Amino acid sequence: MDARFTELLTPYLPYLGDRELTADTPLREYGLDSMQAIELMLSVEDTYGVELPDEQLTEETFSTAGKLWDALSGQLGGQGSDTAPAADAV
Amino acid sequence: MSGVTGQGPRTDLLAAVEQVRALAAKHAEETDEAARFPVAVLDELRTTGLLGLLVPAEYGGLGGGLDELLDITMELGRADMSVAMIFSMHCQQVAGVVHHAGPRLAGELLPLVAAGRMYLASVTTEAGKGGHLLTATAGLTAEDDGLDIDRFAPIVTGGEYADGFLITMRSPEARSAGDVSLVYAHRDQLTITPSGDWNPLGMRASHSTALRLTGRIPEHQVVGEHGQFRTVVLNTFGPLAHLGWAASWLGTASGALSRVLRLLRSPDGRKGANLDSELLMTRLSRSRQRLETVHALMRHTAEVVTRVRAEGDDLSRPRYQMLINSLKITASEECHRAVEDLIDAVGLRHGYLKGSPTGLERALRDLRSAALNYSNDRLHLADGKLALLDAEVRFA
Repeated sequence: MDARFTELLTPYLPYLGDRELTADTPLREYGLDSMQAIELMLSVEDTYGVELPDEQLTEETFSTAGKLWDALSGQLGGQGSDTAPAADAV
Repeated sequence: MSGVTGQGPRTDLLAAVEQVRALAAKHAEETDEAARFPVAVLDELRTTGLLGLLVPAEYGGLGGGLDELLDITMELGRADMSVAMIFSMHCQQVAGVVHHAGPRLAGELLPLVAAGRMYLASVTTEAGKGGHLLTATAGLTAEDDGLDIDRFAPIVTGGEYADGFLITMRSPEARSAGDVSLVYAHRDQLTITPSGDWNPLGMRASHSTALRLTGRIPEHQVVGEHGQFRTVVLNTFGPLAHLGWAASWLGTASGALSRVLRLLRSPDGRKGANLDSELLMTRLSRSRQRLETVHALMRHTAEVVTRVRAEGDDLSRPRYQMLINSLKITASEECHRAVEDLIDAVGLRHGYLKGSPTGLERALRDLRSAALNYSNDRLHLADGKLALLDAEVRFA
């Protein structure tokens, strides 16, 4: 996950507090509700200039930070969460 | 099992279903009048084994599936909508246990359900959360020897007669109101304090009073993982609730249409009604058309849910959730309107008065609850959000 992504995601997680945002951070537990999930998706799409395919828009995708990053990086040229940050690919 | 949709209850269950339906029809007027739970009908559901419809055969149950659930619920709805709702909501709880409980809880609970000794009630309502199913205010407290429950619920269908309860509460380590666990509690494990009267417009026999539940349960009675109620809802409770409710409402409206048609075809009815009336024909047609729409949508939804499960696909996908929600909204509106059409068709005497053999007055009161029973307004909000997630507009 790149810095831009964690920066974008953090405001949607009001219960995260001082904890570090990692790939395993469960998004709903830390306060992402369904309406915010849509805002988050649009914001991710705007920031990275991609469109997340409908097939990816499942509960699973929004379950953890890492899963959402995986879905995003899939659109950024196939880079997974354990590869280099994808920000330069835009 | 026949496995064929639209063929009526599977043959080996026909006699049992007819027994329960006949008893429900016999008691319907009286339980409606007195707003009393149909205890005799519940007893018949116990002795016929139908409470164990969805319990797999290895636990001694009937091993039925979605099609059987819909067929039987519709039959019961023809006689009494409260009975159909009591039955289908119990089956929904059973499915929750079958699909999400750990082996220990399933092993303890399912044989009791199959033996007719376990009628399960659902406790998801809570004051002050505005009908939000997926949030909880009261929290479970973790103790050394289990989990403490202290929970008030304003509406629990059949709660005073249930042998066990599936209850939503905030998880012990919850960070947000959406961190909800589903737990099972046996009647013996709880102190149950009923409060308030039950005197509603319709659904009077469902006896859905307020209850306060307190007690302690062992940790293995959490259904699914802590905080995973959302998963139970998206995969099991949501689909089963909306399908079961749709079948209850469609059964109720079908029973009403059937009784009107029989009246119109009887020698006395032919004297009172003009079968040459184009207006009457149009109203009968509209009523039937509404029921055809609901029936087709209900069977299609059941087929999709069964297929998605069999293929191991994810029911949380927007297109599946929108289908399941659309079924609920459509069924609640169309079944109610179908009965209104019939009231216009037959007029005051057979449409509006208690005591008419058409039973339209009670059917209309009962069906008025459909749009409110998990509010259509709330479902439209959910579907609006889901629609934004399916910009391609693909249908299930």
